[in-house]
Amino acid sequence: MTQSTVTLLLVEDNEVNRDMLVRRLQRAGYHVLTAGDGETALNIMRQTSPQVVLMDMNLPIKDGWTASREAQLEPRLQAIPIIALTAHAMEEDKARALEAGCCDYATKPVDFPELLTKIAAHHDADS
Amino acid sequence: MAGTGVVETATEQPEQWASRILASAAPLLAAVKRPTVTVESPMNGDVEALQDAVSRVQQLLTSPSADFSHDLLNLIGAIRGYAEMLYEDIELLHPALKSALPALLSAVESSQATLDLSASALSAAKMEAPGVILAVDDMPENRELISRLLSRAGHTVISAVSGEEALELLDTRGVDVVLLDLMMPGIGGAEVLKVMKENPALRATPVIMISGRQDMDQIIACIQAGADDYLLKPFNPVLLQARITSGIERKRWHDREEDYRLQLERNERFIRSTFGRYLSDEIVAQLLENPEGLEMGGDLREVTIMMSDICGFTSLAEHLPPPQVVSLLNRYFEHMTDIIFSHQGTIDEFLGDAILAVFGAPHRLDNDPERAVRCALTMRDAMEAVNEANEAAGLPALQHRIALNTGSVIAGNIGSEQRAKYGCVGHAMNVASRIETHTMPNEILISDATRAQLPDHLFELGEPREMVAKGIEESILVYPVVGLQP
Repeated sequence: MTQSTVTLLLVEDNEVNRDMLVRRLQRAGYHVLTAGDGETALNIMRQTSPQVVLMDMNLPIKDGWTASREAQLEPRLQAIPIIALTAHAMEEDKARALEAGCCDYATKPVDFPELLTKIAAHHDADS
Repeated sequence: MAGTGVVETATEQPEQWASRILASAAPLLAAVKRPTVTVESPMNGDVEALQDAVSRVQQLLTSPSADFSHDLLNLIGAIRGYAEMLYEDIELLHPALKSALPALLSAVESSQATLDLSASALSAAKMEAPGVILAVDDMPENRELISRLLSRAGHTVISAVSGEEALELLDTRGVDVVLLDLMMPGIGGAEVLKVMKENPALRATPVIMISGRQDMDQIIACIQAGADDYLLKPFNPVLLQARITSGIERKRWHDREEDYRLQLERNERFIRSTFGRYLSDEIVAQLLENPEGLEMGGDLREVTIMMSDICGFTSLAEHLPPPQVVSLLNRYFEHMTDIIFSHQGTIDEFLGDAILAVFGAPHRLDNDPERAVRCALTMRDAMEAVNEANEAAGLPALQHRIALNTGSVIAGNIGSEQRAKYGCVGHAMNVASRIETHTMPNEILISDATRAQLPDHLFELGEPREMVAKGIEESILVYPVVGLQP
C-alpha cells in the first residue's frame, strides 16, 4: 500500500474535531485536504479529485446529504467514494447517508482503527 | 457542581462529565508542563491541541452554548483523538503521562457512552415537542424543582437567578417558553415581561408567570400586559407540564407562521426578479396578489401587440465599433422600456434592435388599444431626447418605427420548468410584425383591428393604406397615427 500518495478530503465544520482528525490521518500516512462546508467540499473534489472523502453530514451552507447527492450528478465526482461521518445516536442518518450516495459510514465519536480500515478498503477498491 | 452555578442545564449529565474530563486532564497537562518532561515534535503540537480542546470544555462550562451536549460531544471526541495519539507516542517515554492518559481516556469513553444515550433519549423525546425553557426565579430550590420536573419530560431547562440575567439569556439563546417569577429582587417579573413585549424578537415567546396566591392582582396585571398564563406556588407538576406543553405549541405555531411568511417573501423576490425585466411594477404587484397566474401554460386572450425597431440599424451597426453599438442600443432600450412600463405594457422580448411588447397580458385592462397608441406616441416623441444624448456622445441619430395590431393570442409562461418566460404566440403577432415591415421611418402604423377599438375622436389618423403581406391571405387596412386630436 502506498499511502503517502493517497489524498483524503475531510469535510467537518467543527474545527477542533477537524484538527484532531487531520493530525491522526496525517500520522497514518495520508495527505489530507479539508473543507468546512459541503459547497467548498464539492469545489475541492472538482479541483483535486481526492481518492476518498470523509464527510460529516451536519454541515453549514450545504449539508453532507445534499453535497453527496450533488456529487452523484457529476460524472467526475461520482466515482469518488464518500464515507459519511454520522452521530452515533442518529440511526436514521446512516440510512439517509447511503441513500444520498455515500458508499459507507463511520459513526462519531470516531473509532479510529475502524475508520482507517474503511478508508483503506475504499481507496484499495478504487485503485 | 462545577461551573458558575448560574446556569444549569436540565440534563445534568453532560456537565458532570465535562467536569470529570477536566479533572482527569488536569494531572496530564500538569505533567506535560513540568520541565523534566520534554515533549518532542511531532507530539508537541498534539499536546497543545489537547490543551486547547480541554480549555474549550472549560469555556463551555462557564458559558454554555445553545447546543451544549452536541458541542461537548464534539470536544470530547477530539480530546479522545488527541489522547489516543499521545498514548501511542508517549507511553514508553514518560511514565507520568502513562498513568494520566488512560484515566482521561476512560473518562472520555464512559462520557461518550452516557452522552450518546442521553442524546438518543433526547431525539426520541423530540417527537413530543420538547422545548427550551427558561426558568427565572431567585430561589434556588424553585429552579431546581422546575429543572427536575421539566427535564424529565425531555425539555432543556436553562435558568436565571434574576431579571437582569433572564434578559441577557433571552438575547443570546433561543427560548421556547419563559417561566417567570413575579417577585424578585432587582428587575422583577413584571418588568422583564414589559421589556420582552417591547422587543419584536421576544414578543412572541410565551411567558408563564409564577407567583404566590397573595399576588393575584399583579398576576392579572401581567396577563393584561401580555403574559400567556400563570402558575401558583407550590406548583402542581401536572399543571406545570400542561402549561409548558401548550406554551411550546403556541411558540411552534408562531415559528411556523414566521417560516411561512419568510417563504412568501422568498416567492415574492423570485417573482420580482423573474418578471421585473418584462413587466411594469404595477403588473408585478398584481401577479403577487394572484400568483396562480404564474403556472405553466397559457390562455387565449385579446391583446394589442406593439412591434418597433430602429430603421437601418443593421447597416449602422456594421460601421460602428461594438461598444458604441451597445451604448446606442442601451440608451434607446432604457428610454423605451420606461415608457412601455409607464403605460402598463409588458415587454415580451428584445430582438436585436426590435422591441416586442403587448398590452392586455398578463392583465387585461379596458383601454389596452388606447394605451398602446398613447405609448407609441410617447415613444416617438422621446426619440428627440434619445438623439440629443446620442449626438452629445458623438453617436449618430436614430429613427424608429412602430406597428400595432390587436387580436387574440395565447399568453402564458412558455418554456420548460427550468427556463420559462412570459410570452405570447399567435397569428396576431405575425400580423403585427408584417405591418412593421410596411412602416416608414418615424411612423406609427396601426391595423384596422386596433383602430376599431379606439375611442372616437381621440387620435388623429392619416389616410388608410391597404397592405398585402406575405403569409396573410386577406389584405389588411392600416392607418398612420398622426397624434392626439387637437
